[in-house]
Amino acid sequence: MEAQTFTARVATPTTRLVGAMALVSMAWVVIGGLFVTPRDVDQGDAVRIMYVHVPTAWVAYLAFIVTAVASACWLLSRKHSMGFDRVAGASAEVGVVFMAMTLLSGSLWGRITWGSYWAWDPRLTTTAFLLVTYIGYLAVRGLGGSLEQRARRSAVIALLAVLEIPLVHFSVLMWRSLHQKASVLSGDGDIKMDGSMLTTLLVGVIGFTLTFTWLVLHRQRVLAMQDAMQMTQLDAALRERANESENKSVIESSRLK
Amino acid sequence: MDLTPRTSEVNAPLAPRKRNTKWGYVALLVVIVLAGGTIVTKFLTSAIDYYCNVDEIGSRVGCEPGRRIRVQGTVEKGSLKSVNNSTNFVMIFNKKTIQVVYEGDPGGIFQECIPVVAQGRLVGEVFEATRIEVKHSNAYVADNADRLKKAEAQVCSPQAG
Repeated sequence: MEAQTFTARVATPTTRLVGAMALVSMAWVVIGGLFVTPRDVDQGDAVRIMYVHVPTAWVAYLAFIVTAVASACWLLSRKHSMGFDRVAGASAEVGVVFMAMTLLSGSLWGRITWGSYWAWDPRLTTTAFLLVTYIGYLAVRGLGGSLEQRARRSAVIALLAVLEIPLVHFSVLMWRSLHQKASVLSGDGDIKMDGSMLTTLLVGVIGFTLTFTWLVLHRQRVLAMQDAMQMTQLDAALRERANESENKSVIESSRLK
Repeated sequence: MDLTPRTSEVNAPLAPRKRNTKWGYVALLVVIVLAGGTIVTKFLTSAIDYYCNVDEIGSRVGCEPGRRIRVQGTVEKGSLKSVNNSTNFVMIFNKKTIQVVYEGDPGGIFQECIPVVAQGRLVGEVFEATRIEVKHSNAYVADNADRLKKAEAQVCSPQAG
C-alpha cells in the first residue's frame, strides 16, 4: 500500500514517457550491441563494451555539468530555491554511478585489449580523480547543518569540480596517453567507425541520457520528500522543546511561590 | 526559552545519532582526500607523458637510455618470435627500430603491426620490457574476412601509433 503511494508521488506522465523511451532505446542498444553490430577487426567482441563505456562517460560529464548549472542557479537566484540544490545533488549522485560504470567497463576493455586492467595514464587518472571529487561532493552534502548551509557549500564545490571535466576530456590531446583519442568528436570531421557501430553508439548515448533524465527526475523528488520530512521532524522537535521549556518555567515559578 | 543541552537519555533521542552520522561523513572525507592525494601522486610519479617514442630514446629529456622508461612503437611485421616463454620483437617508429624482449605472453590483442607501449629498461641494444600494453587506435573497423586477407598482405606502416 505504501509502495503504491510512493509511486504515485514521484511518477508523472512525463517521467513515465521518459522511462518508456529509455527502455526502448536501451533494448535497441542491447540487441544492436550484442547481435547486430559486427566484431572489430582488432578487438573482436571486446568492441561491444564501447556501447556502454562511451555513453556512460558522456552521461557522467552531463550529470556533473547539470550539477554545476543547478548550483549556479541556486547561488545566483534571489529566492535560493531548494529545488536547484536537489537537482544538483540528484544529478551528482547519478553521475557518480555512471562514472563508476565508465571506469569499470573501461577496465574490463583494457584487460582484453591493452592486456591490463589499469594504467596510470592521463585519461584514466584524471577520470579516477573526477570520480573521487564527486564522491567528496556527496560526502559534503551529507555533513549536516541546515538545508541552506548544505546548498551553499556544495554549490561552491560543484562549481570548482566541474572545471575538471575539460581536463579529463582533453587529456588525450594534451598529453601522450595509452587511451585512444575521440573517434566521433575528433574535431577533424572524420568519424573512424563502422556505420552500424556508430548508429548503435548514438542510440546508446540517447538511451543512457534518457535513463539519466528519468533517474534525476525521480531522485530529486525523493530528496524533496526527505527534506520535507527533515523539516517536519525539526518542527516537531522545536515544539517538543518549547513545551519542555514552558513546563520547566511553570514548575520553577510554582516553587518560587 | 531554555536552550541548555539535554542530559537525560529520554529527553534527547535524536542528538547522538546525528553526531555519529556527521563523524561518519568527516571520516569519509578524510578517506577521499587521501585517495585523491594517492591518485595525484601516482599520476605525477608515472609522468604526465605516458611514454617516449622509439626515435626519442637518447634524444629527449626523460627518455635517456639506462633509466626505466615506457617506449611506444609498432610491432614490425615478421619480427615477432616466441622463444622459451620469451617474446621477442622489433618495435619501430619514425623509421627508428629497437629490439624488445619480454618474458611471457604480453596478452591483450598483442600482434604484429599493432602499436604497443613497452615499459622497461634499455640494456645495451636490447629493450628489456617488464610490461607491454597494446595501444589501440581510435578507429573501429568491422571484422571482414576479405579485408583481413588484404590487411595481412600489406606491410604495416612504420609511422603507426
